[in-house]
Amino acid sequence: MKLLIVEDEQTLRDTIEKYFTEEGSICEVAGDLKTALKKIAVYEYDCILLDIGLPDGDGFAILEYLRTSGKNECVLIISARNSLDDKIKGLNVGADDYITKPFHLAELKARLLAIVRRKTFGSNSLLNYNEISIDLLGRTVTVNDKPMTLTKKEYDMLLYFIANKGKVISKNAIAEHLWGDEMDMLDSFDFIYTHIKNLRKKLMELSGKDFFATIYGIGYKFV
Amino acid sequence: MKLASHYNKVSVVISVSVLLISGLIYYLIINHIARQQLDNDLSEEVEEVVNYVNLNHRLPQPVEFDEDQTSFIKTTRDQYNTRFFDSPYKNPKEQKTEAGRAVSALVKTNGENYIVTIVESREETEYLIQIISAITLILTAVLLGILIVTNRFVLNGLWRPFYGILDQVKRFNVADTSKVVVIETNVDEFKDLSDAVIKMSTRVTSDYQGLKTFTENASHEMMTPLAIITSKLDMLIQDETLKPDQFAQITDIYSAAGRLSRLNQSLLLLVKIDNNLLQDTEKLNIKTIILEKAQQFHEMIVNKNIQLDIELIDVEVTASRYLFDVLINNLFGNAIRHNKNPGSIKIELSGNRLKFQNTGDSNPLQQDAIFERFYKGRTSDGTGLGLAIMKNICALYHYEIKYDFKQGMHCFCVVFLKPD
Repeated sequence: MKLLIVEDEQTLRDTIEKYFTEEGSICEVAGDLKTALKKIAVYEYDCILLDIGLPDGDGFAILEYLRTSGKNECVLIISARNSLDDKIKGLNVGADDYITKPFHLAELKARLLAIVRRKTFGSNSLLNYNEISIDLLGRTVTVNDKPMTLTKKEYDMLLYFIANKGKVISKNAIAEHLWGDEMDMLDSFDFIYTHIKNLRKKLMELSGKDFFATIYGIGYKFV
Repeated sequence: MKLASHYNKVSVVISVSVLLISGLIYYLIINHIARQQLDNDLSEEVEEVVNYVNLNHRLPQPVEFDEDQTSFIKTTRDQYNTRFFDSPYKNPKEQKTEAGRAVSALVKTNGENYIVTIVESREETEYLIQIISAITLILTAVLLGILIVTNRFVLNGLWRPFYGILDQVKRFNVADTSKVVVIETNVDEFKDLSDAVIKMSTRVTSDYQGLKTFTENASHEMMTPLAIITSKLDMLIQDETLKPDQFAQITDIYSAAGRLSRLNQSLLLLVKIDNNLLQDTEKLNIKTIILEKAQQFHEMIVNKNIQLDIELIDVEVTASRYLFDVLINNLFGNAIRHNKNPGSIKIELSGNRLKFQNTGDSNPLQQDAIFERFYKGRTSDGTGLGLAIMKNICALYHYEIKYDFKQGMHCFCVVFLKPD
């Protein structure tokens, strides 16, 4: 997968680049609108991570350019503003999703993969990971061709972990992914523990393998 | 009392007294002049009599003319000062007594002394004075009338710009974007006032807008550093050689960053509600929304062994879906978070009234303080903005929100507007 990160804050740009660079993925970066437009004009990307507030202009200009030049890149907007106007405006001119700062890198990656998958679905809506096979349209999961029944939260979590395979994910990030704004009501991470325990058990029953590694004090890793 | 009435009162009192006093003076002067005139006439008459006596050395016949009545009385006095006095005048024609003016003087003839008295009618001058008085009175009345009418209508018209400005000042709302408009007037004072009010309101509004923009920008600017903190932590935890207690500290940093981010979001939401930026209103069924939320919070309700009683009827309101979600979320969230284990929540929706009752702390909350920004109960770990946000949402849609503590239950009640 080829990715362009358009973000003016260098620290953030580097961190995202580091997190996303892995086997089979290439990340390119741009710190301002001019560089970004130059790169987009020359290269093809699977997805563009776009910060709206750039030093030399509005990130919407990139969306406008993509639309007028008939390009088909996925765009995930990163913005400090969660203003609903911005959101509507961004999605209307061709962005695929919208994420508000601050975000967890795991969340960013899960969202990015989701929009890339959605765009490249074609007839095949199957996502395979080792023994696990997920039908994204039907929202059904099979392990070793045996069907697995999951609750909505478990299904969400499974997708989330697969997107961030091999990465340590904090309980905070998981809680925010699963509950969003209600997260501040959770007085403990007990819920996450319960959900992970259940998902882990179901996966183990069907595959005989433990996909989860517990990283004490912080969270989990999907392997 | 209105300024115009004050002015009216003073001007009427002054005008009436000035008119009355001047009328009196006028009367006295006219009276004096008329009397002088009469006295002059009488002096001439006396002179004529004296001349006649000197020439003819005898008294004239006491001819009675129409106007004057002359009489002679013999006297032994040698000296007599001519004097003028008021005396009744018998009008022989009309057989009645009128007011008159008389003069008496000494006349000497053939060694005999006589006092001559001439009486003249004052009727005509009296009549003149009466007419003059009447005219003065009528003038006074007319002037008074004109004064009152002028004060009432002209002054009111004159003050109209003032009331226009006052009305605008009364309706002035700092959060409103509508401006104070210039009032057309020819009066310099009102022009000045209008200008000053416009300048002041513009300054206040722009200061307020500036403050809001500042809040918004400050909150937004904080998001990027927060994003850096969060993403750096996300990278940091990839190092699995860290010890569990180091991870535990990182979790605390995560939580603090998350809290700061939520605080920022809440502040931004408050600014948005204040600015009325969320205008995507639609018809919402409250019952449906509450049932959805109950589903969403199910896990937490079960976890805390909370008994949930819901009694709902279909009620529709027109509001922003986003804000209404926030409102119900906060009501639900508070009812769960501040509940006991085990506890209970009772939700009632009837007519235009939504009631959330929950068990919890056995002491009532401070009714007047809970809706203040950053008010927090002793055990609350929230942002302290939840209730302030609820209050602002309710204020935006003219709902009423009340807190009550009854039979050990904390009760938040939202009264919606009756559908028109």
